[in-house]
Amino acid sequence: MSGNPLDKRYAVLGAMLIAPTVLIFCAVIVYPLVSALYLSLFTIFTPTLRGSFIGLGNYAYLVNSPEFWRSLWNTLLWTVCTLTLQIVFGVAAALMLHQNIVFRSLARSLILFPYFVSTVVAVLVWRWLFNDLYGVMNHLMLMAGLIKMPLDWLGSMPNAMISIILVGAWKYFPFVVIAVLARLQTIPDALYEAAKIDGAGAWSRFVDITLPQLRDVLVVVVLLRAIWDFKEFDLIYLLTGGGPIIATQTLPLMVYKDAFGLNDMGRASAVAVSMMLVMLSFMVLYLKLAGRGERESQP
Amino acid sequence: MKTLAGRIAFNLFAWTVVLVTAFPLIWMILTSVKPQFELFRIPPTFWPEQITFEHYVRLIYETPFLKYMRNSLILGFTTTIVVVVVATLGAHSLVRFRYPGRERLAQMVLFTYLLPSVVLILPLYLMMVWLGIANTIFSLVIAYTTFALPYALWLLRSFMQGIPDDLEAAALVDGATRMEAFVDVILPQALPGIISTSLFTFILAWNEYLYALVLVNTDEARPLTTGVMSMLVSAFNIEWSLLMAASVMMSLPLIIIFAFLQKYLTRGFGAGGVKG
Amino acid sequence: MADVSFQKVRKAFGSAVAVKSLDLAIGSGEFVSLLGPSGCGKTTTLRMLAGLEFPTEGEIRIGDRVVNAVPPGQRDIAMVFQSYALYPHMSVGENIAYPLKKRGVGRAERDAKVASVAATLQLGALLDRKPRQLSGGQQQRVALGRALVRDPKVFLLDEPLSNLDAKLRAHMRAELIELHRKLGKTFIYVTHDQLEAMTMSDRIAVMHEGDLQQFGAPMQVYEKPANLFVAGFIGSPAMNLLPGMIESSGSGLAFVRQGLRLAVGAGGQAGQKVTIGVRPEDIALGSGPFVATVRIVEPTGHETIVMADIGGQSAIVRVQPDTAHVVGSETPFAVRTSRLHAFDSVTGARLDLAFAPPAS
Ligand SMILES: Nc1ncnc2c1ncn2[C@@H]1O[C@H](COP(=O)(O)OP(=O)(O)O)[C@@H](O)[C@H]1O
Ligand SMILES: [Mg+2]
Repeated sequence: MSGNPLDKRYAVLGAMLIAPTVLIFCAVIVYPLVSALYLSLFTIFTPTLRGSFIGLGNYAYLVNSPEFWRSLWNTLLWTVCTLTLQIVFGVAAALMLHQNIVFRSLARSLILFPYFVSTVVAVLVWRWLFNDLYGVMNHLMLMAGLIKMPLDWLGSMPNAMISIILVGAWKYFPFVVIAVLARLQTIPDALYEAAKIDGAGAWSRFVDITLPQLRDVLVVVVLLRAIWDFKEFDLIYLLTGGGPIIATQTLPLMVYKDAFGLNDMGRASAVAVSMMLVMLSFMVLYLKLAGRGERESQP
Repeated sequence: MKTLAGRIAFNLFAWTVVLVTAFPLIWMILTSVKPQFELFRIPPTFWPEQITFEHYVRLIYETPFLKYMRNSLILGFTTTIVVVVVATLGAHSLVRFRYPGRERLAQMVLFTYLLPSVVLILPLYLMMVWLGIANTIFSLVIAYTTFALPYALWLLRSFMQGIPDDLEAAALVDGATRMEAFVDVILPQALPGIISTSLFTFILAWNEYLYALVLVNTDEARPLTTGVMSMLVSAFNIEWSLLMAASVMMSLPLIIIFAFLQKYLTRGFGAGGVKG
Repeated sequence: MADVSFQKVRKAFGSAVAVKSLDLAIGSGEFVSLLGPSGCGKTTTLRMLAGLEFPTEGEIRIGDRVVNAVPPGQRDIAMVFQSYALYPHMSVGENIAYPLKKRGVGRAERDAKVASVAATLQLGALLDRKPRQLSGGQQQRVALGRALVRDPKVFLLDEPLSNLDAKLRAHMRAELIELHRKLGKTFIYVTHDQLEAMTMSDRIAVMHEGDLQQFGAPMQVYEKPANLFVAGFIGSPAMNLLPGMIESSGSGLAFVRQGLRLAVGAGGQAGQKVTIGVRPEDIALGSGPFVATVRIVEPTGHETIVMADIGGQSAIVRVQPDTAHVVGSETPFAVRTSRLHAFDSVTGARLDLAFAPPAS
């Protein structure tokens, strides 16, 4: 910082413009974040909000709680499976929509719509589709001869886990489509022309040109989606509520249940903090990548 | 895809995939205009034998749906306006001013953008209770800034980085103060980005569920997401046509945005949705 | 009287130093070019003068006022940006009127001034268009118009012609010279193109890696380059720089390198490492005491450029188009000793050496 008065005046103006943001951040993000850490050291009865300090007691409890480990396992399973499906379908759909098909922009809108629609709407529709008596899913599978009896899609295992994974894939794969399509449009045609002249077939063009060009965007997308899937609450809560029993209960659902079902805010906070610690590795990795991209994109 | 036949086959395939993906939403619309008794046909009918709008009429006159809708609109617009105004100023500051701590701040924005709501929600709940504003739309506006503000800031920052520095410099040389340059030159240039950001913020607020579930417990302040779900839970026997009608109505703003403002959505994704 | 002056101005971006202790005084009404390769700190210098960057150290004056802390809009300068920086959402007319508007000039006067500037620059028919509807040359003129309309004390131009095609560039060069003559204002013109600097300027400030190398009239810079950098940078094709050594030779001294031996009449001392500079037109092929090998022959029509090997180093020679040279052949040559330059090989500074004409 030079001692130039004008430079200083500008810096003050810049600080004033960012001040509302900083104030809001401190009030609704930083303070709650610190507060969550603090709460996790207490046991607090939700209806009265009375509590007492128990140090790391909540964490000690969690380490020995099979429910916690089960929820963590569920979270990882759900994240890995739904993310894999999102990436596979997302890349495939993007490649397809990149081609010249009739009414392409309408097709794109239709594919993107699930991503923008409210989770509540998505869940209502899917619960109707999964309805055991009158649902279309059961009807179609019976007709196709895949099953003999109507399935209980959401109330039994492993169906419930499979169902949430599928609906998650359906709801979130358009994000991958958008990201990959945007990248595909920037790959110069000349690359493909050159490969064609060199006699490369469609498959080898895909493997040698398209995939390497998509690598960076896929890394970013995988990280972002992993973070978002890991913390997903609405979709799972609304589809299965974590059931049957706790078979599809992920960590965010456990936080909610501990706080408002079992009325222990302290333990719920401990679950939330533990969950964030697991996520932190992804977040740091993503921040690093984003930081690198930023420096590269600046001249 | 050289031959005509190959091309037709590919188109058929592609459109089959698209329609299968969109099927749940198509089914939602179809169900919402079927009479109740038609839902219980086995096998189900695809096209309604009889189109009816009775569910929409019931939704409006016999349920609190309109109240929820009003709450959601107030919530969506208030959140969007507050967040976009604050974020526009903040993004301008992050992009065009130099002061200590600026880089750290930008990093923190990105970090908070990834933060899970469930970590913040308990302290926020306590805060609202303490402030005595639990169960109000206002408490939701405050809660929504936790995810909407980092998101909007990040998006707008990336839009504003795309505006050449020379434009502001030219305005300064031409005699504008920095704020005048912001108003005269930067804002008009950022307008498409601001519109995109507003749309995304509105959609985020419109679709939010968890905070609404935890912070609001009365129909007076309940937005559509939790409101419609409460209709599902409270109904003695689930009226799917009614719920599908509610779902369609709830998706109306999105359909409008998709139909008329899609270029802004695409632009928003180019700028920040993907880059992060 | 100096109109613009830099005193010990230094600018660092973090640890990177863009401008090192610059001293420069520019007279009123002068046309001065800041010339140097890309990244040498020209734009930074100009932006500091405009008030868009702040010097880390030193003082900048416009007139007798220290402007270090004066906002750009109050410095009585106008600037044309390399990117033109036209406001995309404003029409051409609004673009040109903007500086007046910001200075509170009334509507009627504004319109009159815009019309007169538009007439000067032949933009009259384009006033209602948006910048993106204009060609590169037209945009360039709008940027110029926005600067002209205000009648400032100093005009700053940052590579204004570099985005134009060659023909338009030549045309605009002439127009800018004409404009400067008509207005009589101080022009500070940044360019990396020595042809522009040589043809347009009253004086040229040659910069390299944030340092001012030489400040002088075009012919002075050309004929008396202050150091090796200027010698190599000014002139096209570039001056040949041949390193060698001063040795004692009989009663006097001589510059010696492989394939070349020149008697030194005055200055220098034995053992000194010296680089001589000789312009392509100052080597005469065909006869003389030395021998070169022809490597490449490039006829351009009005002259022929010959790349020749002189004692292991390639040199460029300008010859008449009608002389024939065979690639690979050896040819005798002479150098015009009266036009030789000499530099200290270690410091790069110009040396006052006089070379004796070749003993014939
Ligand atoms: N805003 C900046 N931040 C960091 N370095 C900069 C900045 N502006 C210029 N530089 C550096 O300063 C040096 C001089 O740049 P510049 O003045 O633009 O050169 P020129 O105009 O002669 O090409 C370059 O090395 C450049 O990288
Ligand atoms: Mg430059």
